[in-house]
Amino acid sequence: MPLTPFFRSPFTDFTGGLINAQHYDKCGQFELDVVECLEAYGQDRGKLKCRDLIEDFNECLTMTKRTMRALAMRNERTKQYWSGELKEKYQNPGPRIDSF
Amino acid sequence: MPAPKTQDLPPNGGYQKIKFVRVPAKTLFSGFQIIGAYVGITSFAAYIYYLTYKQIQREEIEMRSCKLALMPMLIAERDREFLKQVRRNRDEESKLMKNVPGWVTGTWYGEPIYKTKPKDYFDEGTWDDLCVHSNYRTSAIRQNFHLWN
Repeated sequence: MPLTPFFRSPFTDFTGGLINAQHYDKCGQFELDVVECLEAYGQDRGKLKCRDLIEDFNECLTMTKRTMRALAMRNERTKQYWSGELKEKYQNPGPRIDSF
Repeated sequence: MPAPKTQDLPPNGGYQKIKFVRVPAKTLFSGFQIIGAYVGITSFAAYIYYLTYKQIQREEIEMRSCKLALMPMLIAERDREFLKQVRRNRDEESKLMKNVPGWVTGTWYGEPIYKTKPKDYFDEGTWDDLCVHSNYRTSAIRQNFHLWN
């Protein structure tokens, strides 16, 4: 998530970044870390210096890597099942419904 | 010679008198009796209400203390089952992806999900992460259950 708006105009300058992740308990701390790092290095150098923090924050919001992982495992499982390596396609039993 | 016409006349003895005097309803109770009954019934009902209110409050307190007593155990059981399931999933993933080149368990081809977090950071994940090795139905049952609540 970029901290500056995608289209920068006098209207967006007028209000500033009002949308943030501070009320999202999972990603609030990630955002604070990013903002602290950017405050220390500035916007231009911060893009390089805080790359990992920004990527982590992005990952927390979009869950891209997490989804790709799940997809890769599903695909591998399907492949192994159809090629006969796996007897049962799925883990049995699955997680209990009251375990999360 | 035509037959004589009979004129329309009042019946013998004349018409009935027009009743214009008000007929009051029969009074079963007097006003004081009604007010007394009202006060009596209302105070009896208020007494019953008071008793029921106390009983409901007692039951609420009982339910609340029951929940307070049970909650730690239920949460502990949930966490315990969650951790067991996470362990099962990790073993399952290691077994499943052992032939995939470059794959390290818990990462995306060796790249951790959160790069800046320390090694012992526990990522709770989502419900779908927990169900990644199981049938979609397992995940859907809980989602349905959860959304109806």
